[in-house]
Parts: sequence; structure tokens; C-alpha cells
Amino acid sequence: MSQPEIQGYLRPDGRYGIRNLVAVVATMDNAHPTARRIAQTVRGTVTICPGFGRAMMGEDAAQHFRTLTNMATNPNVFGAVVVGLDKKSSHDVAEAIAKTGRPVAAFPIEEVGGTVKATEQGARMAMQLCYDAARQRPVPMPWSEFVLGVECGGSDGSSGLVSNPATGAVADMVVDRGGTVIMSETVEMLGGEHLLAARASDPAVRDKLVKAVGFCVSYAAEHGIDLLGSNPTADNIEGGLSTIEEKALGAIKKGGTRPLMEVIDLGFRPTKKGYVIMDAPAPGVENISSLSAGGCQAIIFSTGKGNTSGHPISPTIKVSGNPFTVEAMRDNIDVDLSAVITRGMPLGEAAAKLEKELIDVIYGKPTSACLLGETEVAISRILRCL
Amino acid sequence: MPKFLVLDPKDNVAVAVEPAKGGEVAELSTGGSLTLNADVPFAHKTALAALKAGDKVVKYGEVIGAAYRDIKPGDHVHVHNIRSLRNEVKK
Repeated sequence: MSQPEIQGYLRPDGRYGIRNLVAVVATMDNAHPTARRIAQTVRGTVTICPGFGRAMMGEDAAQHFRTLTNMATNPNVFGAVVVGLDKKSSHDVAEAIAKTGRPVAAFPIEEVGGTVKATEQGARMAMQLCYDAARQRPVPMPWSEFVLGVECGGSDGSSGLVSNPATGAVADMVVDRGGTVIMSETVEMLGGEHLLAARASDPAVRDKLVKAVGFCVSYAAEHGIDLLGSNPTADNIEGGLSTIEEKALGAIKKGGTRPLMEVIDLGFRPTKKGYVIMDAPAPGVENISSLSAGGCQAIIFSTGKGNTSGHPISPTIKVSGNPFTVEAMRDNIDVDLSAVITRGMPLGEAAAKLEKELIDVIYGKPTSACLLGETEVAISRILRCL
Repeated sequence: MPKFLVLDPKDNVAVAVEPAKGGEVAELSTGGSLTLNADVPFAHKTALAALKAGDKVVKYGEVIGAAYRDIKPGDHVHVHNIRSLRNEVKK
């Protein structure tokens, strides 16, 4: 089968971005206002404001700064302005970004003398980065360099019938072209993990998957938590999903059908190509942030009841097969596949429509989340601060 | 007649692809039909067979939980009569 040509911006680390973004990165919550002020001053820049960051400890701190840095060095990022309250966090994050060959500068608020000066200096740097980024031209990009994230949120009984299988069919296309697909949301594999385990490329991959899903069961039990109401959520339940198994059996369809090559931890980059699972929490914003840190240049976000979230770095395509949602939430849905239900459109045709949208987005078409600014970042916590 | 999909031959529930009212006759994708005992909203499920409390509920050919009270064919199948088998909560 012929495959469409795609293009990207070649980075010094050898990766290709489908966007050429200048990111304004806050290392901690206390620097969010300055980061947002810089981004408001210099049009076209995007913020990475993930919350928390101050006085975090141990593996929680490691996860925060790894995920933050990997988002800031997503292939879609040309260069970055880093703001933090203190020197250490600002310089550490800037240094990690610089290691990938990207232009970056840090503006620690304590060091430069307050938020007004940090805004002024950060904005000048952001302007310069925008001028420099504009000189770069896209070049042909091999599919083997493309990493697609697949996500579902606001799921309902239609998700497993239409939008997830269509997303899965596009995922298979990407894998067959030599690319990589990352699926996540571990708890939403609970009840379908045997089907994923059977696709594992080797026993170690299978064991890691089974252990990750098992953790969700034991964690809920340990805390006396009934998943009903959390996962499935209240809107999932309203949409017809009765148990976590039912939700999971629909959700895993978004990962397609190809062999499972690797299971990676939250915020890490895959080391294998093909179908990969990232062990990360399911809520939309923290999950798409995890996927973006994993290096996804684009994310397909399947929804039933509707969901508005997109990632500022990784364009997030909303797809739904629910005829009521595509009408009621038209502004927030990019791809309407409701004809599968209303007119019997074959799933293959639905997948082709979704693939066309993905190619358009790779070539620069904005997603609704991007146009409306419905973009947000959150990094999952492991421990609390003291 | 509201349409319902039977997703796998092993399934004992069918999925509404349009909102259905109690008393209506559901047209099944497998060719049969079934009178509904209750409203079944879009993308919700109805039972194809009688289920006793404890019986497994099957959709996509896979177990999605178990009945915790008896269910009759045509009943709305949801959180009021089935629950997860994987999330045991000690009260």
C-alpha cells in the first residue's frame, strides 16, 4: 500500500518535529505567572506550566523533572526559555534542554531581580528564538521517526465501537510504516490485559505489563477504593460504561493490533519502534503530558461524551463516533466519525478519514484544542511533599 | 425499531446505537428482536438472556463483570445490576 509522504523540522538530536515551537518552560508553580506573561508578550510561543516542582522529593522529583525536560525537548520544540524561582532548578532544566542541541536560556527570578525583569529578559530571548525558528525549513521525514500517541477520554459506549477502533486502525498504519505508537492509561487495560499480554514480543515485556496492571488492582484494594466513579468516571457511566473491564476492552482498541514491543515508565522515551505501552495514569491532561514527554509529535484523542483537552506541544486530534457529541460539542471535535453509527459507514472508511486528518495536522493544520487554546499540562505525582 | 448491536456471538448483552424506550421492540444486528423492559439510552446495554446474580456478563466476547441481581432479557444492564469482577472493595 502506498504511504503518504510527511515532513518535519530536523533537530540537532536527529529527531523530526511536525511543529517548530518556542516553549516557555516554568520549572515550578511559582514561575507560572512569569512564564505566561512571557508567552502573552511574544505571540506564537507556548507555555509548559505543569504545577508543583518546589521541594519535591525522591522519585517524585525525578519524575517531575524528567517529564518536564522530555516535554521541553519533544521533537516539536525548536528552543526554549526557562523560568524558575531559583537558580538551581532553572539552570538544571536549561542544561538538560541544551544537551539536546536546542537553543535555550534560563531566567531565574531570584537571580535576574524579580518577575518584571525576568519577563522582560525572557520575552527578548523568546523573540530571538522565534526569529531563528522561522528560518528553519521542513524537510522530508521518514515514518520511522514519527511517534503517535493514542489517548481516550470522556469515553462512552460508542468509544469502543467507533472512535477507538478507528484510532487503532490508524495506529496499525503508523506501525506498518515503521513508526511508533504509544498507548497509555494503564488502569484502562484492566480486564483486557490478557489480550495485550498475548501480543507481547517477549516474556519480560509481558511480565512488565501484567505487573503494571496488577498494581492498579492492588493500589485500589490497599486504599479501599471502589474504582466505580473514578474509572469509569461519572460521565463514562452516564455514557453506558458499567465497569472498568468494559471500559478497558473498548479503550485498548485504540492501540491497534500489532505486537507489543516495550512497556516504558512515565515520561520516558521508547527505545523500540512499533507499538509501545507507557505505564501512566489515565486522566486526560496528565496522560497527554506523559505521551508528549515520550516524544509523541501528535496525539489522537478518542472521545465519546466529549473532551476538550489538548497538549500545547503535541497537537491533539479529537475524534468521536457519538452522533450526539459531535453535534453538541462540535467546536471541540476535529473528526466526526458518527456516520459509522448513523449511516453504517465502514470502519475502514472511518479510519481513512482519521488518517487524512492526521496527515493534515502533520502538515500544519491546527487542531480545535490548539485554535481555542484548550491546552494544558500536568505531571503526575508519586509522593506528596512534606 | 431501535437498533442494537451484538458485538460477538458469545455476548449476552447488546448495545443500543440509538436511544430506546421501555416497551419498544429492539432490532438486533444478529437478526432477532427483543422487547425492552426499560429505557436504554444511546450506547447503553440490554440483556439478551436471563442472568442470575453471579453470572458473568459478556461483551466484545469478553467478561466485563458479573450480575449482582437477577436480570431478565430486555432489561437495561448497567451499574444498578452488574459490577466489576476485578475491583473487590472491602467494606
